[in-house]
Amino acid sequence: MPITTTRRRLLAGSAAALALPAFARAQGAVKPRLTAISQWSAGSDGAAITALGKKFEEKGGIWQHSPVPGFTTEMMNKLRAQIIAGDPPACSQLKGPEIAAWSKIAPTVNLDALVAAAGYEKVVAPDLAKLHKPGGKWIALPLQIYSTNMLFLSKRALDKAKADKTPVTWADFNDLAEKMKAGGVTYPIANGGTRPDDGQKFEASFAGISPAAYRAAIMNLDKNALEGPEIRAAFAQTRKIADWMDPNVGAQPFATNLKRFVDGDMGIMIQGGWAQGVLRNAGFKFDDFIIVPGPSDNSKPVFLLNADAFIFWQRSEPDLQAGQTLMAQLVMDPAIQTMYSQITGSIPVRTDVDLSGEGWSDGQRRTAGALKDAVANNQAVLSLAHNMAQENGLTAAMIDVLTEYVKNKTIKPEQAVTRLAEAVEGAR
Amino acid sequence: MRDRTFAPSRMLIYLVVLLVAVAYLVPLIVVVLNSLRSNEEIAQTSMIGWPLRWAFGNYLTAWSDFCVAQTCAGIRPYMLNSALVTIPATIFSTLLGAVAGYAVSLWRFRGDQWIYGIVTLGIFLPQQMRLLPWTIVLRDMGLMNTLTGLVMIHTIQGLSFTVLFCRNYYVSVPQELIRAARIDGAGFFRIFWRIILPLSPPILVVTVIWQFTHIWNEFLYGVTFTTGQQQPVTAALIALSAAVADIPQNGVQSAAVMIAALPTLLIYLIGGKYFVRGLTAGAVK
Repeated sequence: MPITTTRRRLLAGSAAALALPAFARAQGAVKPRLTAISQWSAGSDGAAITALGKKFEEKGGIWQHSPVPGFTTEMMNKLRAQIIAGDPPACSQLKGPEIAAWSKIAPTVNLDALVAAAGYEKVVAPDLAKLHKPGGKWIALPLQIYSTNMLFLSKRALDKAKADKTPVTWADFNDLAEKMKAGGVTYPIANGGTRPDDGQKFEASFAGISPAAYRAAIMNLDKNALEGPEIRAAFAQTRKIADWMDPNVGAQPFATNLKRFVDGDMGIMIQGGWAQGVLRNAGFKFDDFIIVPGPSDNSKPVFLLNADAFIFWQRSEPDLQAGQTLMAQLVMDPAIQTMYSQITGSIPVRTDVDLSGEGWSDGQRRTAGALKDAVANNQAVLSLAHNMAQENGLTAAMIDVLTEYVKNKTIKPEQAVTRLAEAVEGAR
Repeated sequence: MRDRTFAPSRMLIYLVVLLVAVAYLVPLIVVVLNSLRSNEEIAQTSMIGWPLRWAFGNYLTAWSDFCVAQTCAGIRPYMLNSALVTIPATIFSTLLGAVAGYAVSLWRFRGDQWIYGIVTLGIFLPQQMRLLPWTIVLRDMGLMNTLTGLVMIHTIQGLSFTVLFCRNYYVSVPQELIRAARIDGAGFFRIFWRIILPLSPPILVVTVIWQFTHIWNEFLYGVTFTTGQQQPVTAALIALSAAVADIPQNGVQSAAVMIAALPTLLIYLIGGKYFVRGLTAGAVK
C-alpha cells in the first residue's frame, strides 16, 4: 500500500523536521553537555562506555560520566540520592520494568520525536520497546542486548561424548548431557552458584518448553499459567540440570569454572553472551567452545532478552537538554551500537544491523539470528533472572524460590510450583 | 615437678588455638598467593594454587595503573580520598566521644542516662535506614558529593560507639578524684585535660582502631555521597570486582585488597595490644 507508506514517511519526516531544527538551535547556542551515571566502571563494560563518551566528545559535547562501582543497588541508591537532592543526572543506566517504576519518582524526557526521526521503533523487538515507553511515551533507550539462555558447549566434552550435532530441543540436550556423563565428563553442566545463575537454569527450561506459557506465567503473572503443566515440566527439567551440576560451587561466579569447562571436565554452560568476552579475555580460544541458541521444544529459537538501557531525566539547563538530544541520537545509531557490542560481546538492539563483517564472532551472529527468528515467531521473551520480566521486589521473591529449588534436591517440582505461585501472591 | 608448659591439657589448648588460627588465615593466604599470580594463570588453573610464575606486577597495576572508567591511575587517588575522610572523622569522633563519655559518666545531670541511651541507640540503626535522612541533610547543607559531607556523617555516626566506649571506661574512674579536683577549683574542661585525658590512652586507642577500621572499610555512603574522582578506596575495589562482562581480575584485585588493607593493618599492629585491654576495661560495671 504505497499511500500509507508515504503518509508514514511524511509523518516521520515532519517529526524529524520538527526535532532537528530544535537540536541545531540548541547546539548552536550552547555546547551539549551530558551528566550520566552507570555501574560500568571497569573491564569491557567500562571500555565500552568510555568509547561512547569519546564519540560524544567528537560531536562537540562535554561528557561527564560518573560510574557508581558495584551492583545495581548501589547505583539505585546514588540515583535516589541525586533525585532527592534535586540534581538528577541527565541520563542514567536503568533496565527492565524499573524504568516504569522509577519514571514515577521524577519527571523524564519525552523522546518520541527523536525516536520517530530515527525510525527506531520498527527495528526494536516489540516486548523490549514496550519496557522503554511506559504510558506510551519513549523515556528510555535500549543500548545493547544479551540472550540469557545461550548454550556454550565445550569442544573437549563434546569429543568425550562422541556427539556430532548440537542440541535443538530439551530432549536433545538431556541426551547430550547423558552421553557426556557416560563419556567421562564429571559434571555435564558448568555452573556458578549465584542467584542469577540459578534463575537462568529455570528460565531457560521454562521458555524453551513453552515461550507462550513463560510469557503468561512469568511476564504476566497469570494464575493458571503459574500452576500449569508447562511450569511443572520446567521445574522437572531444572532438576535434571541441577543434578548434572557441581554441587560444591558455593556462591562463586560461573567464571570460576571456565578452566574445567574448557578442559572437558564440565560440558555445557547456560549463559549470556557476556561469557564469550570472559572466555576470550581469560585467554581461551574460540575453538575451545561452540555457542548455540538455548534448547527450544518447538525447534524455533527462543530468546530470553536482557537489555541495558539509558533513562533520560528532565533538566532545565539548555546545555544538558542539547546533550540529551545528542546522546539519544548516538544510542540509536547503528554504528554506535556496533562499536558498543563489539567491545562487550552483546548484540545490537537494532535488528537491522549486519553482523557478517569483521569484528563479530560466530556466537554473536547466531545470537542475532536467533533474535530475528524469535521476534518473527513471537518467541522473544523477557529474562526473569536479569530483572527484565518483573520489578526488583517480585523478582527477588521469585528467585528465592528458584535458587532454593536448585540447591535443595528434596523439593519436588510440584512443591516448587506451589511455592513460586505463593511467592508471587505474597510479593504482589 | 612436672613442666606445666607441656602438660597434656596445655598441648590440647595450643592445638585448638593453632587450628583456629590456621582456619582464620587460610583466606588471607589465598589472597596473598593470588596477589602474586597473573589473572590468566588464576583463570586457567584454579582460584587456589601456588604461583607458577611470580607476578609482582600485580601490585604496580593495582597501585597506579588499572582503570576505573576513563581514569587509569590505580587505587592511589582513591586511597588518598579514603585517608582524607577517615583521618579527620576518626580524630573528631574520638575527641567528641571522649568529652561526651566523660560528661555522662562523671558529671551527672538531669536526663544524662537518657542522652547516653539515645546517642548509643545509633548503634542499632541499620545503615540503609539512615541513607535517605542523610541525603536530605547533605542537600540542605550543600555538601552533596563532597568529602566534607562524608567526614561530617562519619563523625556524627561514630559518636554512638565512641561515647559508649568512653563512658564505660570512665565509669570506673573514682568520683573522689573529680571531687578533689573541683575543690581545688578545676572546671569541666580542666579536669578533662589534666585528669581524664592522661588516664585515657587505652580507650582512645580502642576507639581510634574501631573508628578508623569502620570508616576506612565503609562502602555504602562512600559510593552514594561522592562522585567520580572523589570516591573512596572501597569503591575502587568494587569497581575491580563487579565487572560482569569481564574475566575476574583476581590477581590485580588481590593485590589491590592487600594494599587497601595496609593502613588498617598498621593501626592494629601499633595499637593492637591495647585493644582487648581497653575493650574489657569497665566491662564488668
